[in-house]
Amino acid sequence: MSLASLAHPRQDFSYGFLDAFAKRELRRRMLKAIAIPGFQVPYASRELPIARGWGTGGLQVTLSIVSPTDTLKVIDQGADDSVNAANLRRFIARMTSVATTTDTLAATVIQSRHRVPEERLREGQVLVLQVPDPEPLRQVQPDSSRAREMHADADYAQMWLTLYEQLVRFGRFMQGASYPVLVHGRYLMSPSPIPRWDTPALHQAAHLTLLSAGREKRLYAVPPYTDVRPIEFEDVFFQVENMAGRICMLTGARNKFMDELPVAEGGSQFRLSDTGYAAKLLRRARGDAATLGATYFDDEGHFYQPGVIRAE
Amino acid sequence: MSMPHMTPAELRQHATFTALMWAFSYPGRPQRLPAAGLAAFVAIGETLLDLETGFFTPHDDLVPALAATGGRPLPPIHAPYQFYPQLTLAELDLLVTAPLGTYAEPDRGATLVLGCGFAHGTPLHLSGPGLAQPLTITVARLPDELWRARATVAVYPLGWDLYLVDGDQVIGLPRTTRVEVG
Repeated sequence: MSLASLAHPRQDFSYGFLDAFAKRELRRRMLKAIAIPGFQVPYASRELPIARGWGTGGLQVTLSIVSPTDTLKVIDQGADDSVNAANLRRFIARMTSVATTTDTLAATVIQSRHRVPEERLREGQVLVLQVPDPEPLRQVQPDSSRAREMHADADYAQMWLTLYEQLVRFGRFMQGASYPVLVHGRYLMSPSPIPRWDTPALHQAAHLTLLSAGREKRLYAVPPYTDVRPIEFEDVFFQVENMAGRICMLTGARNKFMDELPVAEGGSQFRLSDTGYAAKLLRRARGDAATLGATYFDDEGHFYQPGVIRAE
Repeated sequence: MSMPHMTPAELRQHATFTALMWAFSYPGRPQRLPAAGLAAFVAIGETLLDLETGFFTPHDDLVPALAATGGRPLPPIHAPYQFYPQLTLAELDLLVTAPLGTYAEPDRGATLVLGCGFAHGTPLHLSGPGLAQPLTITVARLPDELWRARATVAVYPLGWDLYLVDGDQVIGLPRTTRVEVG
């Protein structure tokens, strides 16, 4: 036995950039997060060549789970081609040799900032959501230690009170993105700043969702087929954004989540937020081959699981 | 800059972690490990253990391999990762002392890796997160008292997270999975 036979060839970087200890710790924490849905598991968020707050939490999770046999999609607010998404995708590909795609159906790992793709994710896919603030109780309890005690006691009375006060003052729930959800009937969780439109997609989903906040050093998970219920009252229901009447200026799609583009002469035009889905619609319109997956919301705006959005 | 590639150890640990991740994500579905038999326990150990953690195993042959990861041998009352290739009733008395976590830190509940057989044995009816429909599996070579202890000692979110290993197959039973025997 020689030293050369025991050592691997010299590399400029570890596979996946992170060292073996970092990956092992992240993997231990991820397994605990999956075992306790919605519970924020602390981890030692490592330094990366990207500033904290720019997706380092999601990046560390992705770097720990991908292999060269995976196919990766990275999106930022639904867009594959934004600066943040392009940088993260290029970095991950350089560090892991992973294949990349913009097609939700072809991806095995999807890292996202603030959106869930329009096409339904399937079993075996992993959605990694970047999280700026993992604490859903922040607005009612700024002390993190006290907030953790409230999670331990399942004491969410202040959140219900906040919801009630919003109804009294404004006549509706005022929370937009990051709408708090109750996971497996136990932990209140921030689903990251995804729009309310995407929140029901986490309920009884076929895929695994991992959420990670690099700056706050917390990660948590929603396993497949797990109850994820937005908090609501028995007589006043959670609602998604109203996309009725909004038609994509490029594809003609309707009842999907749209970006609003102000026009010079006043008013707005709308464009599909999910650029990968829009590209496939355009390819199909040109007569090229494009496989479209079933979407969470149909063209009439109905969610695919009846009864989940009770305000429908 | 050269493109980083996986070393044999990284490849093995990634394959093991992937099996463990999907085993907890879809409880009751067997996942394939890159090693079989006692080597499967070592593979799980090298994937999860290092200087920051500790382990317990009553199996003398496993101790050196697990200690080589840097993990500290700890008594079962403290060990976050515990390995029982052949769980006996006497060892069950040790297992039931494993940490359950606390309400503030439920993630400190122990991960238990248990050897068993899947081909026949006691039917276990599973339900909970990760299961679109209730599922029945059969498990041999585990005392029924284990399931009684799991149901009575821990109340969610406290609990143990179980990996059942048979050959190169692993089934995950996280604490969220409800198990009914018979």
